[in-house]
Amino acid sequence: MRSVARVTGIIGRIALYLSGTGLVIMTAMIAAQVFWRYVLNDSIIWTEPGSVMVMGWFIFLGAAVGVREGYHLSFDVMLMVLPNRAKLWCYSVSDLVVVAFGFGMIWYGTQLALKTAGNKLPSLGISGAFDFIPLVGGGVLLVIFSLERLARRAAGMPTARFGETVDEDELNGLVPTNRIEENQ
Amino acid sequence: MEYWILFGSFVFLLMIGTPIAFCLGVASFVTVTYLGLPPVVIFQRLNSGVSVFALMAIPFFIYAGELMVRGDIARRLVALAGSMVGHFKGGLGQVNILTSVMFGGISGSAAADTSAIGGIMIGQMEERGYDVDYAVAVTVTSSMISLMLPPSHNLIIYSISAGGKLSIADLFTAGIIPGFILAVSLMVAAWIMARRRDYPTEPFHGWSMVGRLFINALPGLILVAIIFGGVRSGIFTASESSCIAVVYALFATFIAYRTLSWEAFVGATLGAVRTTAMVLLVIGSAAGFGWLLAYLRIPADLVEFMQGISDNPIVVLLLINVTLLVLGTFMDMSPLIVITTPIFLPVAMAFGVDPVHFGIILILNLGIGLCTPPVGTVLFVGCAVGKISIWQVMRSIGPFYAAAVVTLLLVTFIPALSLWLPALFR
Amino acid sequence: EISLKASDTHPDGYPTVEGVKAMGKMLEEKTDGRICIEMFHSAQLGEEKDTIEQTQFGVIDLNRVSFGPFNNIIPETQVPSLPYIFRSVDHMHKVMDGEIGQQILDAFSDHDLVALTTYDAGARSFYNSQKPIDSLDDLEGMKFRVMQSDLFVDMVGALGANATPMPYGEVYSSIQTGVIDGAENNWPSYESSGHFEVAGYYTLDQHLMVPEVLVMSKQTWDGLSEEDQALVMEAAKESTKVQRELWAEREAESEEKVRAAGSEIITDIDKTPFIEAMDPVYEKYVTDETLKDLVARIRAVE
Ligand code: NA
Ligand code: NA
Repeated sequence: MRSVARVTGIIGRIALYLSGTGLVIMTAMIAAQVFWRYVLNDSIIWTEPGSVMVMGWFIFLGAAVGVREGYHLSFDVMLMVLPNRAKLWCYSVSDLVVVAFGFGMIWYGTQLALKTAGNKLPSLGISGAFDFIPLVGGGVLLVIFSLERLARRAAGMPTARFGETVDEDELNGLVPTNRIEENQ
Repeated sequence: MEYWILFGSFVFLLMIGTPIAFCLGVASFVTVTYLGLPPVVIFQRLNSGVSVFALMAIPFFIYAGELMVRGDIARRLVALAGSMVGHFKGGLGQVNILTSVMFGGISGSAAADTSAIGGIMIGQMEERGYDVDYAVAVTVTSSMISLMLPPSHNLIIYSISAGGKLSIADLFTAGIIPGFILAVSLMVAAWIMARRRDYPTEPFHGWSMVGRLFINALPGLILVAIIFGGVRSGIFTASESSCIAVVYALFATFIAYRTLSWEAFVGATLGAVRTTAMVLLVIGSAAGFGWLLAYLRIPADLVEFMQGISDNPIVVLLLINVTLLVLGTFMDMSPLIVITTPIFLPVAMAFGVDPVHFGIILILNLGIGLCTPPVGTVLFVGCAVGKISIWQVMRSIGPFYAAAVVTLLLVTFIPALSLWLPALFR
Repeated sequence: EISLKASDTHPDGYPTVEGVKAMGKMLEEKTDGRICIEMFHSAQLGEEKDTIEQTQFGVIDLNRVSFGPFNNIIPETQVPSLPYIFRSVDHMHKVMDGEIGQQILDAFSDHDLVALTTYDAGARSFYNSQKPIDSLDDLEGMKFRVMQSDLFVDMVGALGANATPMPYGEVYSSIQTGVIDGAENNWPSYESSGHFEVAGYYTLDQHLMVPEVLVMSKQTWDGLSEEDQALVMEAAKESTKVQRELWAEREAESEEKVRAAGSEIITDIDKTPFIEAMDPVYEKYVTDETLKDLVARIRAVE
């Protein structure tokens, strides 16, 4: 399990850095749009739809990593009062739900991509399917990271609890641990 | 029945700790399936919900704020505020509040405000003999000011949740007077507390000192002008303006201040990803949820129901305020904006409340929720910085809550406080 | 009992919304309430691009949309969106009600949609804050906000002016501060947006006269009996008459308000140079033979 965690850790890192690069690219595209319009007195037409597409990647990749690292917003008041065993069950049901939603993103995202593949996106001139690829890509990562959470829990490894900062090395299986975070 | 399925599955998932973005998405998915509609519609709404150009202002504003915070701007603002109001009764408490006013001009994040200003000031206040619970209380509550003053990415979330047709420039302008009223109310509370507890004041070093520190903080303060001037004049859209803010923040911290290292830049970028990707995913999933609300005509039914309760807008606004305050103590701000706007805005509008005015009420109300237990992100951050428990803070926070609630009531029942300034610009 | 869910991005009371409502009333009367229409106005179910997809899935039954979003999907829809393709409103009605219009509507059937009828959306013309425009020379170098579309950007460019795509909500203050000189729209929007207050010169060049289309989900259509299909089609065509009347009324009201406010309306312009300036635009966008044929036939309609 630890070696799996190492691999998913690397996937998570890559996705996070890609997401960050997306943010920088968005900045560059809109900055260029402003520069062209006000300094060169000309307008670039593709920066707006282009940056919106990059934003799709930025959001879905970043949010998938969020599942792994636990930086999503959630409601944990109820969980505070539950006994540990019940808590673990709640976490697992919750992860299963996210797996299901991830599969939905892949399945229906693919359907949408296929349906719009023949269209041409205005201003970009590429296939409409590109609109939905971030959705599918994000879905794949969500499934991987949520399954990882379930497997970790089964193997007694820690998973990030939503709303808490975690030790990255521990999360990536780089340091040994015998603590189950839900038991704290 | 479909009401019960939609809200029942949402609440169930919420209770077992599922991230809110997925609570919204899955609850909509289940309901759509129950209704026999093709579930693909939920994923289509999710995708189009995150493909809105105006949304880009949210990561950009947060990114610009992250860069400025890591680039030492907060310390300079504290120094400037200290030279201006440190000699007032309640000294460092007043400085803390005034810093939030200035910080509010570069950031719309109350959590960032609390960690940046709290990190500098809470220790300093403790040293000068302030109770640490007072220091945390004033830091936490004054961070609400940054929600009200432009840039406020939460107002952009509101504008998008309201259908994307509200002018962001108007919303930004509308928050200014309420933001200052909040600042003044908090300063009064700080003054009263300081008198009661006999906290010290700082010496005044003269206006030339103020001038020197002003110049020192100027690159940060210019950002305020760029953001607000750009959006208000219509020269830039909010998204473009926020992008310029990022470019400017990079320029100011890399070149002018030379305070931003490559590591700090990467840290700021990844920090912005972590903060915004999840917020934007919540907005995307709420697009599907909101679609279902409209499809099931829930807002329309609620309008009818409220009209049955009372025909008095004051009563209705009070009811909405109390509901939001209660919800706000349990949930975070951005998900509540996206969930409650499509439900309550039609009600408020049916009772003649201007949507811009309602946005300000909503943000202030949910902002108070950020500072209240059991779930108050900003309160948690403040406690973590001050290394004390939530219950300790409760000893000193009462007067500050009172100041915030008084401001909320003023803003709710005097629409002109929100609407007068935007009307001037039109 | 069939309840058809209809979507429109316009607010309640808008001519298109009222047109579909009128269609619902006719259906109810003819079927003793067996078929009715439930209207979701004000973009409650989403913006046009989204609701079109929803109509294709069969989640929405009826949808009133512009031709614009179809331009990249159904090539035939580009034709009525071409600048200066119609000489007048009458010309447009004649084309759209005739066999050319039917050919365009039929093209929707390959995309899980049945196009029932078209509605009026008026003619778009330029307005600005600087000067009365009555020739191409006047347009030289001026900045106009246009909708985000390559075609419209190219159109403004071909007229010698600069196109600035920006969100509709920012137009008012952008004209006021001089970021742009003006924009372009139809009478009702020129009036209701308040743009006439800051841009007092309105030149009726009528460059765009794009009708709107009422589509039904193919899935819903196939679920109707043949008699019901006929009833729906008939009611849709009837509703066009109602809608056109309402639209004309709306235009007249707006015109009256704007004129009373003192805007200068330039009606007397020679459109020929404007139309001629469109040659490169047509060359770029009208590439395939079907479209060329449609353009030629539309121009031939008297
Ligand atoms: Na702010
Ligand atoms: Na503060």
